[in-house]
Amino acid sequence: MNVPLKEAVATSKVLVVGSGGIGCEVLKNLALSGFKDIEIIDLDTIDVSNLNRQFLFRKEHVGKPKAVVARESILSYNPDINIKAYHDSITSQDYGLNFFKRFNIVLNALDNRAARNHVNRMCLAADVPLIESGTSGYSGQVELIKKGVTQCYECQPKPPQKTFPGCTIRNTPSEPVHCIVWAKHLFNQLFGEDDPDQDVSPDTEDPEAKIEGQEHTETESGNIKRASTRQWTQEIKYDPAQLFNKFFKNDIEYLLKMENLWKTRKPPVPLTWEQAASHEGDTAEEENNVKSQDMKVWSLSKCTKIFADTVGVLKEELAGKTFLVWDKDDKPAMDFVTACANIRAHIFTISTKSRFEIKSIAGNIIPAIATANAMIAGLVVLHAFRVLLQDYQKCPSIYLRQKSIHSKFVLAADKQIEQANPKCYVCSPQPFVNVFVNTQTMTVKEFETELLKKSLNMVAPDAILDGKGMVVISSEEGETEVNNDKKLNEIGIVDGSILKCDDFLQNYELTVAINHYEPQEKDDPLYKVVANPDELKAKESINGEKNGSEEKKEEESDEDDLMIVNELEDPQEGSSKRRKLNPPEDKDAEDDDLCVVES
Amino acid sequence: MSSPAPKSPEQTDKSKKYDRQLRLWGDHGQNLLENSKVCLINATALGTEILKSLILPGIGSFTIVDGEKVTEEDIGSNFFLESDSIGLSRAQVATQCLLEHNPDVRGDYIDESPEHVMSHTQDFFNKFTVVIATALPEKVLIPLSKYLWESNVPFVVCRSIGFLGYIRLQVKEHTVIEAHPDSENPDLRLLSPWRSLREHLESIDVALLDQKSRSHVPALVILFYYLTKYKELNGGLVPKTRQEKDILRKMIRDSPVADEGSIKLLEENFEEAIRYTNTCLAPPSIPHNVQAILDDDCCKNLTQNSPPFWIMCAALREFVECEETLPIKGSLPDMAADTTSYITLQQLYHRQAELQAEIIYRKASDIARDLGLPMDTITQNEVKMFCKHASELQVIRGSCIADEYERTRLDLSFYLEDPDSLMFYYVILRGLERFISEFNTYPGQFDDQVEPDVLKLKGIIGKLLSEWSCSQVLRDERVHEVCRYGGAEIHSVSAVLGGCAAHEVIKLITHQYKPLDNAFIYDAISSNSATFCL
Ligand SMILES: [Zn+2]
Repeated sequence: MNVPLKEAVATSKVLVVGSGGIGCEVLKNLALSGFKDIEIIDLDTIDVSNLNRQFLFRKEHVGKPKAVVARESILSYNPDINIKAYHDSITSQDYGLNFFKRFNIVLNALDNRAARNHVNRMCLAADVPLIESGTSGYSGQVELIKKGVTQCYECQPKPPQKTFPGCTIRNTPSEPVHCIVWAKHLFNQLFGEDDPDQDVSPDTEDPEAKIEGQEHTETESGNIKRASTRQWTQEIKYDPAQLFNKFFKNDIEYLLKMENLWKTRKPPVPLTWEQAASHEGDTAEEENNVKSQDMKVWSLSKCTKIFADTVGVLKEELAGKTFLVWDKDDKPAMDFVTACANIRAHIFTISTKSRFEIKSIAGNIIPAIATANAMIAGLVVLHAFRVLLQDYQKCPSIYLRQKSIHSKFVLAADKQIEQANPKCYVCSPQPFVNVFVNTQTMTVKEFETELLKKSLNMVAPDAILDGKGMVVISSEEGETEVNNDKKLNEIGIVDGSILKCDDFLQNYELTVAINHYEPQEKDDPLYKVVANPDELKAKESINGEKNGSEEKKEEESDEDDLMIVNELEDPQEGSSKRRKLNPPEDKDAEDDDLCVVES
Repeated sequence: MSSPAPKSPEQTDKSKKYDRQLRLWGDHGQNLLENSKVCLINATALGTEILKSLILPGIGSFTIVDGEKVTEEDIGSNFFLESDSIGLSRAQVATQCLLEHNPDVRGDYIDESPEHVMSHTQDFFNKFTVVIATALPEKVLIPLSKYLWESNVPFVVCRSIGFLGYIRLQVKEHTVIEAHPDSENPDLRLLSPWRSLREHLESIDVALLDQKSRSHVPALVILFYYLTKYKELNGGLVPKTRQEKDILRKMIRDSPVADEGSIKLLEENFEEAIRYTNTCLAPPSIPHNVQAILDDDCCKNLTQNSPPFWIMCAALREFVECEETLPIKGSLPDMAADTTSYITLQQLYHRQAELQAEIIYRKASDIARDLGLPMDTITQNEVKMFCKHASELQVIRGSCIADEYERTRLDLSFYLEDPDSLMFYYVILRGLERFISEFNTYPGQFDDQVEPDVLKLKGIIGKLLSEWSCSQVLRDERVHEVCRYGGAEIHSVSAVLGGCAAHEVIKLITHQYKPLDNAFIYDAISSNSATFCL
C-alpha cells in the first residue's frame, strides 16, 4: 500500500451497516487494513444458524446483539481500533443526515431491500460514497454508489417482492406456497400477535365468490369472527380435534357453499379429524429411509399427529405470555406450519412438501456460505481503498458466479461504471413517478403505508396536493389523522392529480402523478408504481406472459431456483444490458416475510 | 424396512448450525466434509483465511505444517495470530486461534518446515483428503507436487503477494457425480415409455373426460395422448421440427371442451402440456461427457484398486449396452393436477428409477465381488445417487505442477499475444519463485534493494521466457510493481483469494460442482481475474 492510501485509510471514518455474513468479514478486513475509526450498526441478535459463516460469533454468543459482539471480537484482536456499535435499526430517525455526513464512506452489508433503499437515499442526500454488496449462495455482487458519478441502488427497477392476494390464501390456494402462508397465519391466529391482515377463515368479500343479485349472508357455521378466534380457541382449551374440525372441515364446507369459486377449479374436500388420523400413510414415501426426517414428505396421518402434538406444546409455551413469535428455527413452530400446510394442501389437492422445503419457503431462506461472503467482503474493502483515493472510475461493479459448470471466470468486473438512470425516481434532479391506484377505494392511510412507505420506501412522508397546496399526509402526529379513512377521491386526489411528497429524514422530495386504475384480472396488482412511462408498455407485455413456467418456478423455489434467479450472464459479452433484470436480491437475507395483500 | 435411527441432540444441533449450507450441498456433501482431513502448509494470512472458510462449514480435521515463528508483519495481516504471540510457533498459534471458531472441528500442527516433514516422515502427506500450500518455495513445491500426484491427493497451491493472487489446482483424477448443471430438462421418457407407464397413460382417454376431470389430469397424460394421436396421423413418426411440433401444439390447444355452455379457456394443465412439447420430445440420448466416461480405460479395465466411481460406471456401461439409455432420474416436476393422479404418476417414475438403480446396484456388486472386493465396497444409496445424476458425470484429469515447472517448453505465446492478458502475471510469479530460490528473499523485501532487485527479476523473467521460446516482452512497470510489494500480503486480497481457494477445496471434498481447471489469476488493481489451463 502506498503512502497516500495508508494515510487515507488511517484517517477515514467508516460506517458498516449490518454485521451478518458479509459484515463480519468486512469488519475483519477493515481492522487488518489499518482503519482506526469504525462504527457498526445492526438490529439483529445472533442465531445458531449464523455460526457456519459469521465467524466473529460463537455458540456462547447466541441471543446477543450482533453489533456488540462483533465489536468485542474485533477489539480482542486489536484493542487500539476505535469501534462504536449500535444495536439498532438504520432506518430509525436517530440516524439522520448529520449522522451520515460524519463518515467518509459507508459499507452496506444488509439483508433486505427496504434498508438498502433507505441507506441509498441517505448516502445520496449526505453525498457520502456507498459500497453496496450482497451474496446469495454461491453468487454475489459488489457495487459503488456515488452521487453524480454512478447509478444509485434504485436506478434500475427491481422485480417486485412476492405478494399474494388475501383471497387466494383464504379461499382458493393453488400452490404449496399459498398453503404455507396460510399455515403461518394460522399460527399467528392461534398463538401469535393479532394481525387482522392474517385472517385464515373463508373470505366472503372475494369478488369472485359474489353472485349477481344475491348478497351473501353470514352463516353460523362459516365463520367465527376473527377477533374471537383466539378466545374460542382458549375456551375449547386448544383441543386439537375441535381446532382441526373447524379449520379443515367446517371452514372448507363453508368455502364449498361459495359455488362460484369452484366452477373452473377442483373443489376442496373437507377433512374430519377422524378421517385424517386414520388415513393410511403414503407408503412409497414412508419407506424411503435414505432421507432424513426433514427431507421426507409426511403422510396425512403423521401431519395430523404432529398438528395435535405441536398445538399441545405451543399452548404450554404460550402460557404466561401474551403471544408467541413464529420462528422458522423453532422446532414446534416449524413443525406446526409444516403439518398445517400439508393438511391444507391435501384438502385442495396441491402437492405436499417436506419440512426442509417448507422451511425454505416459509422462512424465505437464502442459502449462505462462508466462502462467498469472504470473497465479496474482500472486494468491498478493496473498492473502499479506491473510493478513499477518489478513484471512482476504477470501481466497476463486480460479480461472483460460482455455479457455472464451465468453471471459468469466477469473478467478473464490469468494463466501466454504470451511469445513473436519468429517469430514476430517487437520484435524478427532479424525482418523478407515476402511480396507478384505485382512487375510489384506496384510503389515504393505505396510500401512505402501501405506496409511500412500502412501495416507495419513505420512512416519514409528508404529502401536499399540488395546485391546492393542501397537506394531505403529514409526518407530524395528529395533523392529518382526519384524512386517514377517507378515500383518495374524497379529498380531491383523482386521476391526473399531482402530489408533492417529501421525506424529511431521507432529504428526499418526490413528485407523484396519480393515475386512476382498477385491476381487471384477479391476479392484477392492486396498485402499480412506474418510474419511466416507457416502462408501461414493457411491463404490460410481461404481464401478458404471466403463468409462464418461469414464474411458477420462482414461487416454488427451492434452493436451486433461488440461485438460478441470480445467475449472471457471461461477463465476456460485456454489454451493459445484462444483469439488470436479475440483480442478486436480498443477499445473505433470510427473514423477509412472505407478504400478503388484501383483496 | 427399519425407520432411521433417531437423531442424537448433537446431530440436530449441527443441522441447525449448518442449515444454510445444507441447502447447497445436502447431507451427503456435509458428511464428506465432516469426514475430510485437510492439510495446510504455511499459516500465512492467505493460509488461515482459506482454513477459516473450511473450519466454519465443518471439515473433519486440519493439520498445519509450518516451521516459521510469528513475526510482527504476520500479525499485521493475519487475523488468526494474537498480538502477543511474536516469536512463537506460527503453526501452533494459528491452530489454537482457528480451533475456537468451530468446536466440531479437530486441529493439529507440526512445528517443522514442510521440507523437513517430507524428508523425515514417510507418507505424511498422503493421508489427507486435500493438501493446501501457500508461499511454498519451488524446491519443496516440485517434489511435493510429484508425490501428491502419485498418491492422487488433490493439491491446491496459492500465493497472495501485494495486489496479485494466484491459485493452482492439481488433481490427477477427480470425479464428480453431482455437477449441478445450470438447467435441466425433466426426464419423462414419453417417446419410449416402459410398460407400466404406457399402460397407465393409455388408460386415460383425455377426449372423454368431463370438464372437472379435464382440469385435473396431469399435463404429461395430455401430452402423451396427443402425441399418440399425432403418431397415428403421421405414420408412427414423432414430431421433430418446429413445424411438426406446432401441429402437435395446435392439437392440444384445440382439444375439445366437453362443457359447451361455458367460455372456452384453455386450462392450466393444457398450457403446461404445450410447454412440455419444447423440452420433452427429444429422444433420450447419452451426453458426450458420459459416453466418454463409459469408454474410458478406467471403466473398461477395472482392478482391485478401482474406486467405487469406476465400478459404478462399469455397471452403468453394462446397463447402457443392454437398454441403450441412461437410467431414468425418477423425479417428476410439479404440475397442475389432483394429488391422486399426480402421485400415481410420481410413483410410476419413482419405482422405475428404483428398479433400474437396483439393477445397476446388482451389477456393481457382482463386479466388486468378481474383483475380490468386500461386500460393502458399494452401497445401494451411493448407486441411487449415481443413477439419479448419471447424465451429469464428470471426470477431470489435471496436470502435474512439477511437469509444468520442469517442462522446457511451456507454450504461453497464445495468451501473451494479448498485451492485457493476466498470463503476464503468471510469468512474473514464476520469475518471483525462481528469484526466491536463488536469493532466499522476496524481490524488494528490503527498501534499499528495490532497484537492483527489479533488474535481477527482469533478468530471471527474460531467461524463463527464452526457455519457453516466448518472444514477448513484459512491461517494465509490471515487474516494478511486484518488486514494490516486497513480498507483503494485503489482507483484503488474501481474503478474496482465501474465499476462492476454500470454495475449490469444498468442491473437491464434496465431489460436487466442477472444480477450477486449473489456474486462476486475480489482479486486485484492475479487479480482473482469469482462468488458464496449464
Ligand atoms: Zn438512481
